[in-house]
Amino acid sequence: MTFQDLILTLQRHWAAQGCILAQAYDVEVGAGTMAPTTFLRALGPEPWNVAYVQPSRRPADGRFGENPNRLFQHHQFQVILKPSPKDVQSLYLESLRAIGIDPLEHDLRFVEDDWEAPTLGAWGLGWEVWCDGMEITQFTYFQQCGGFECRPVSAELTYGLERIAMYLQNVENIFDVEWVRGVTYGEVFHRNEVEMSTYAFRASDPAVLFGLFETYEKECTRLLGQGLPLPAYEAALKCSHTFNLLDARGAISVTERAGFIKRVRDNARACAEAYLKVRAALGFPLVKTGWTVGQQPPLLEGAPASKSWESFGAEPKS
Amino acid sequence: MSADLLFEVGTEELPAGAVEPAAEQLKALVLAGLDGARLGHGAARTFATPRRLAVLVESVVDRSPDATRQALGPSVKAAFGPDGAPTKAATRFAESQGAAVSALRKVQTPRGEYLAIEVTEAGRPASALLPGVLGAAVHGIEFKKRMRWGDVEQSFARPVQWLLGLHGEEVVPVVFADVRSGRMTFGHRFLSPGPQPVAHPRDYPGLLERAHVLADVAARKERIRVEVTAAAARAGGRVPEDPALLDQVTELVEWPTAVLGSFEERHLDLPPEVLVQEMTSHQRYFPVLDPAGRPLPRFIAVSNTPVRDPALSLRGYERVLRSRLTDGRFFFDEDRKVPLVDRVPALERVVWQGKLGTYAEKVGRIRLLAAALTRAVGRPELLAVVDRAGLLAKADLTTGMVGEFPELQGVMGREYALASGEPPAVAQAIADHYLPRGASDPVPADDPGALVGMADRLDTLAGLFALGKPPSASADPFGLRRACLGVVHLVLGRGYRLSLGEAVDRALEGVGRKLGLGPAQLAEAHALLLEFFRGRLKALWADRARADVVEAVLAAGFDDLHSARARLDAFAQVVGAPDFTPLAVAFKRVANIVDKQGRDVAAQAADPRLFQEASETALAEAARHAATEVHRALAADDAPAALAAARGLKGPVDAFFEKVLVMTEDRAVRDNRVRLLREVAQVFAPLADLARIQAEAGGTP
Repeated sequence: MTFQDLILTLQRHWAAQGCILAQAYDVEVGAGTMAPTTFLRALGPEPWNVAYVQPSRRPADGRFGENPNRLFQHHQFQVILKPSPKDVQSLYLESLRAIGIDPLEHDLRFVEDDWEAPTLGAWGLGWEVWCDGMEITQFTYFQQCGGFECRPVSAELTYGLERIAMYLQNVENIFDVEWVRGVTYGEVFHRNEVEMSTYAFRASDPAVLFGLFETYEKECTRLLGQGLPLPAYEAALKCSHTFNLLDARGAISVTERAGFIKRVRDNARACAEAYLKVRAALGFPLVKTGWTVGQQPPLLEGAPASKSWESFGAEPKS
Repeated sequence: MSADLLFEVGTEELPAGAVEPAAEQLKALVLAGLDGARLGHGAARTFATPRRLAVLVESVVDRSPDATRQALGPSVKAAFGPDGAPTKAATRFAESQGAAVSALRKVQTPRGEYLAIEVTEAGRPASALLPGVLGAAVHGIEFKKRMRWGDVEQSFARPVQWLLGLHGEEVVPVVFADVRSGRMTFGHRFLSPGPQPVAHPRDYPGLLERAHVLADVAARKERIRVEVTAAAARAGGRVPEDPALLDQVTELVEWPTAVLGSFEERHLDLPPEVLVQEMTSHQRYFPVLDPAGRPLPRFIAVSNTPVRDPALSLRGYERVLRSRLTDGRFFFDEDRKVPLVDRVPALERVVWQGKLGTYAEKVGRIRLLAAALTRAVGRPELLAVVDRAGLLAKADLTTGMVGEFPELQGVMGREYALASGEPPAVAQAIADHYLPRGASDPVPADDPGALVGMADRLDTLAGLFALGKPPSASADPFGLRRACLGVVHLVLGRGYRLSLGEAVDRALEGVGRKLGLGPAQLAEAHALLLEFFRGRLKALWADRARADVVEAVLAAGFDDLHSARARLDAFAQVVGAPDFTPLAVAFKRVANIVDKQGRDVAAQAADPRLFQEASETALAEAARHAATEVHRALAADDAPAALAAARGLKGPVDAFFEKVLVMTEDRAVRDNRVRLLREVAQVFAPLADLARIQAEAGGTP
């Protein structure tokens, strides 16, 4: 199965379940979680079911295209299912069958892994999914996002596309993965790795980056002041990426690091709150669609968690 | 009539480590619920896998018996007016119980006299009681981390998928979040998909086994052990004992199959600890050692699915390990490009604790303190080795390998020290200074590591106590309890005779300079830290003697830990003897008199000229003799002899109290008798504070 067929097969599988196929977010992010299609949509009572490929940039992981397992930019296949369906594990396992991972031929395991993103004020519980001892997916039930309780809970599935493709194609080097017949991953992206790594570790100008960080940070605050959480969040993402570039460049000392992370987190939290206010003012419009994926059994005990947003107003609930 | 009760909570994969404790809780909660509902029952057993927690209780009765209990009403005072007529409180209570006031009885309670009535509660059918019992149990299980799912408000360690409640053949209706109980269970996720009805609780274990689930924890662990051992034998080796790994793997699988894999021989030149860590820490593979204890290029993975073609999945296990070993080799090669000593300056950028500074500063204090300790234990010839080991002790913290595997700190320091041409004794001390890591760990076999390790721990203890951050009951982020016990084990295990108080003072001097503390603050930290040692020693020695005896011995001092332990053991030998408690009682009496009457009596020796009775003279002579003997024996490390000498005073003391009245009219004579008793008390002072011995706890008083 080529890299491209892998993507297409996953897309078809999740589209068939009723997910929107979104396109990759066009601002630099370190993970699919950071795209507003996950981070913001996981907030509040509205249903949301989406699948997309997210190019994810991690400057510190850049290896100049010389390491067979590590990349400056890799690709995540990201799925968000909100509320998390009762049969989400089965839906996920069916997607593995679709890409040729038969659970009777491989040792598939859900191994505890607690996920936390300090720059997003987000955490969740779930697993790394192991295929024959190898992690192929991060599977998380979001509990908090931007400092807000997730009610309802979103299930997040993050497939590591390169790693799965290497396994399916039985190659030892990312760059040997076949993208389409006759064209390798290396032929598409090797030069990108060389240049981007060079930029991250050698060519970037810390003075410029520090300036950008300040600028985007202020821009985020300014836009929030004008009630525009979506462009404000883009500025927050740019801050986060700039921080990652500075970190890779070794321009941030150990003692300063926590302070920068807090600045990014504070912005992300403020965006989350502003986003919720806007959605509340709009009356959380997606609620009335009743849009769900998979099995959603009736509750037998207590009120639905999403009801707790009915009283959400100007005050943050966290 | 009775029938077996089965309750199974089916879940998505629970975290390894949470499974067995949760099943034990479930059992305890169900049994407590049955007892609370007065439903008699037989034995109970648990089943626990990553996907299920279950308890099977034999012979749960189908009806609780009738029972009478006393319903308590108003107090008699409030129940009757001055004219003796019942008040509203009395009539209302009688009404609520469906009885006449005349039927109420007066009963005595700790709070006074109350009105009461015997109420007969009719037994109830189990079918009415069990839903509550099982419902409370599933809601009552506690987890370290809980999560919600979907749109539910309830939480569990992972989402609950099904509930199975059966009393005999009857379903017990229970509801949790979005799940309603039934008689269905589920077998292995892949090998036996789909619901499986359970006709009767007794069928459950067999049914699960046919559905490829070995639900009994002990049986599953044993199967893993057997399979892993057999696989290792096929490779011509054995698997080292690692109970924690075995426990983890047991909680990761329902139907274990061991798979033997290989890695490239060229990785065998990595330190064995690195190889073992790479296999066990993340992958949970079992390493295989040759008969000499060296790693073989083999590993054993435990699969949850007996796959159709083991070679296919083995490709995956091997691939992951290969990439991890390649990473490890990369770190090992990169790390060795820098001599270990050149890494020391980098510690200036690694914060140990905010106010106490960086690791570089800690290393500076460790070196000074380790030198002082080396002199204190009389090994000045080791000063150079100890100082070098202290300098390098933390240098491996900046290496890539320790960044990846923090558990390898010390071990990597040793490897990199050897690679940098450091003397073997220095290298070994770097690894040893983390020993003992836990209670069951040995102390280092050589002094340099022990001395550096003691300095490291004392610096940590002194630093956090000087900062006013002792551990709380629930939180001990710097591992101070372990550090404290570490110091004790090092002193006792290495046979060091040094003053604990002085060692603590040396450590406090170091952190005091960093924090700018004055003598009063240091004295306070000293007192608090020694109290902390006292508490840890009490806990540590709880299995050597009765708690009050441990306290009595510690009260006489523990500056020299060997002497304190020897005194404790001497007391532990005699504390059960029939004459010990009378001895304690007699000396308590002595201590009481000295304590109460001695305040105004100037401290000086008793004057023989003021003795009026032969028993006084005899006691004075015996006390002086015993005091000499106690000191001589203690100096010779003969605690039993010291104790025997002190015990010899029992006769003269008894004779004294029989013949002499301490509180005589004559002030001079009286004071002199108090002085004599003070001398007697002082005989025991270096051994134990007998006032703390509980006389009642012993034999006949």
